Amino acid sequence: MANSEEQIALQLLSTKSLPVSAAWLNNFVASTAHQRNVPLSALAQTALFRILASDFRDSLSTRTPSSLLPVDIFDPTVQERQLQGSIPVQVLDIEDIGTGLWSQVEAIERVERGEAIRGREIVRTINVDEDPEQSAEGTGGNTASAQPETGNSNGPHRLVVQDAAGTKAVAIELKRVNGIALGKLPIGAKLVLRNATVARGMVLLTPESVTLLGGKIDSLDQTWKEGRKERLVARITEMQGQQ
Amino acid sequence: MTVPRVLCVAEKPAIAKAVSQHLSGGSFQTIPVRGNQYVKNYVFDFNFGGPWGTCSVTMTSVIGHLTTLEFERQYKGWLSCPPGALFEAPVHITVDSDKAAIAKNIQEQAKYCKALFIWTDCDREGEHIGTEVRKQAKEGNARIVVKRAKFSNTEKAHVLNAARSLIELDDLQANAVAARIELDLRIGAAFTRLQTLQLKHISEALSEKIISYGSCQFPTLGFVVDRYLRVKNFKPENFWGIKVMHTRDGIKVNFLWRRVHLFDRAAVTVMLERCLMAKKAKVTKVNQKPTSKWRPLPLTTVDLQMMGSRYLRMDSQKIMKVAEALYTKGFISYPRTETDQFDKGIDLKKLIEKQFPDTNWGQYARGLLDGGYRTPRAGRHNDQAHPPIHPICWVSPTALSADEKKVYEFVVRRFLACCSEDAKGQTSEVEIQYGDEMFHAKGLIVLERNYLDVYVYDKWESSQQLPNFQMGELFEPTEAKIFDGKTTPPNYLTEPELIGLMDANGIGTDATMAEHIAKIKEREYVAVHSRGSGRNAVKELIPTRLGVALVEGYDNVVTGLPDSPSLSKPFLRKEMELRMREICAGSKSRTEVVQQSLEMYREVFIHTQRRINMLKDAVRKYLVEEAAS
Repeated sequence: MANSEEQIALQLLSTKSLPVSAAWLNNFVASTAHQRNVPLSALAQTALFRILASDFRDSLSTRTPSSLLPVDIFDPTVQERQLQGSIPVQVLDIEDIGTGLWSQVEAIERVERGEAIRGREIVRTINVDEDPEQSAEGTGGNTASAQPETGNSNGPHRLVVQDAAGTKAVAIELKRVNGIALGKLPIGAKLVLRNATVARGMVLLTPESVTLLGGKIDSLDQTWKEGRKERLVARITEMQGQQ
Repeated sequence: MTVPRVLCVAEKPAIAKAVSQHLSGGSFQTIPVRGNQYVKNYVFDFNFGGPWGTCSVTMTSVIGHLTTLEFERQYKGWLSCPPGALFEAPVHITVDSDKAAIAKNIQEQAKYCKALFIWTDCDREGEHIGTEVRKQAKEGNARIVVKRAKFSNTEKAHVLNAARSLIELDDLQANAVAARIELDLRIGAAFTRLQTLQLKHISEALSEKIISYGSCQFPTLGFVVDRYLRVKNFKPENFWGIKVMHTRDGIKVNFLWRRVHLFDRAAVTVMLERCLMAKKAKVTKVNQKPTSKWRPLPLTTVDLQMMGSRYLRMDSQKIMKVAEALYTKGFISYPRTETDQFDKGIDLKKLIEKQFPDTNWGQYARGLLDGGYRTPRAGRHNDQAHPPIHPICWVSPTALSADEKKVYEFVVRRFLACCSEDAKGQTSEVEIQYGDEMFHAKGLIVLERNYLDVYVYDKWESSQQLPNFQMGELFEPTEAKIFDGKTTPPNYLTEPELIGLMDANGIGTDATMAEHIAKIKEREYVAVHSRGSGRNAVKELIPTRLGVALVEGYDNVVTGLPDSPSLSKPFLRKEMELRMREICAGSKSRTEVVQQSLEMYREVFIHTQRRINMLKDAVRKYLVEEAAS
């Protein structure tokens, strides 16, 4: 039995850069013990699936420092440093910093009013000046602030990620990464940072420095979604207070 | 051999007269109609060709619709029945009392005529008016043959041609209008009575007021309120961006950030620092390419209303009235059209030539025929009834009122612009990568103004020129820094925008939009405020307290009810208008559509009755509490 545990651990580490915790794996194998004759590859697949839905703090090992974030990662006095190797992290928060908070609130309200349903959309802004056909070709530049429609966000996005040891870090989508978007990347989704750069305490995400593994933590994602509008509004209120 | 007698009926007296003039060649006899001072009978001979040959013609007119749809007498009193009963209360058609003399005239004349030729305007309403005329004529003479003239302006050759190629009345279009009339009556009366009776006790201000409901007016009001609330609720936020400037050849070039701006200062600071760390920016794109600003599309009603209320300082209803007058006088084509493509058969050059005498644009028109002419762009809409709005002939400015002059000038300039070459220019674009960030600068030189010379409403001007940059070149920008700014609320809705929104959301037909906007002003649901002053003043639509209360109330009524869109939203009406089109296409019958649409509205009506307190609360909130505070 120990042998198959080792094999699964090895496979997840080599294919997904996930150092699985021995205790978690032991538990997992025990829980699947009643299923006999399951091939090892299928078992590894199930393990991966469970890990992606788990909290990394439970499922990953913290024994190898190279797969953890430096504990002082937030340090803003460090202009630039490189994170060596692969570090698995999970997403705790995501926001679109290319779009104002208020227009995100408005977008949520449109969905609440049922205007995201097909046939129930309302056109709210039209450009009186432009020839509708020519404007497709675009005058470029200043008009780029088009309203984000529900579901898809413009980005760039700002994430809060967490490693197996619970260390948190802010990450900025410096270059567009497919799959990072509101509504596409749930809370608890798993990423692997690869030789990522950290500048002034922020992890810089680029297609080269991040691999999306998928998954989510259902309970967190649910609460996050339910509280999103309230959090946005609270932040706006806070900002107004400061002005 | 006796000459057959024929009765012709136009939609308005002025059209009857204009058509008589053309058909008779100017010599006709005018006979007054007893009981109506505006309508006249014009008598003359005309050869219709084909099966008709020379006929003795009596040309007369109606004044718009002849009849009204009404509830039976016992349902007319406001307290005679529960408002909901109006969804199925019996209705009947009556000739308006002030139109009785006109109807009688048609009956009388029909008695002696072999045929009736209908000359109402060629659109849905005109088709319906045509059936009203037919009904009266048949009452006078059951065997009368009915034909219809198809025309879209009152220019002589066009009218003569229409008279010699008569077609049939389109009953499908008339049915669509009949369906709309019945729906407007039932739905309008039911909701108007319900809300007026329920709300009158809430505020002194409402005790004597009729709070009217219309299935088009409410969504129109909805747009105004929606924008108003967006402005009111707006929360400004700070944003930050990176500005890169480089001086070369004595020219300061400002490069714009591809990300425009972000709402996270820390992130922007890091991004700027990475630009500075990189020291040198690299030119990743140098582009010089010809560009053009397209000449406008042929003019539709919606565009006339939008552009007109934007550039001519007149509201859309006024513009339509003036355009209507210009059409009746034969100066422009029919102003109610959805078509933005010219038919191949129409001789545009001949129309351009007619503008030669004008002191302002005559020279330009000449230039078009001396080689500047281009075939107009074709848009995607064609209502198959009317061409785009265009001038029919030249008219001396002294023959027009001030408003007419403005609208006529717009129509002509737009038409000439359509037939011109696009404006040509050259853009140069430089894109740089600085650190991980991309920036670009753009310059424009206008080389040939072309259509812009006559279409003074469009602006396109050269900008600062860019100095030379080489592809792949590295340079250290003179300056790179963070800028900050604040988001600003949208503006209140303007009339041209509102027309655009109604069009985009399928509310009202091009012909009726202006009326709906005028209605909500007249009902005091919205008011017009001026922002700015002088030539730059912008007229904005702002809802009154009552307007906001009604929208909020109806929205609350359907809150939480799945599949019950609010009356303040466009869907129900849009749905209804799609059904009208189905009647016109022959795919749905009038009764079917009336029943289906009544069902939709009846459901909302029942909800409204059940949750009437929500409506009352909203009205109380805005008219009593807010008014007091």
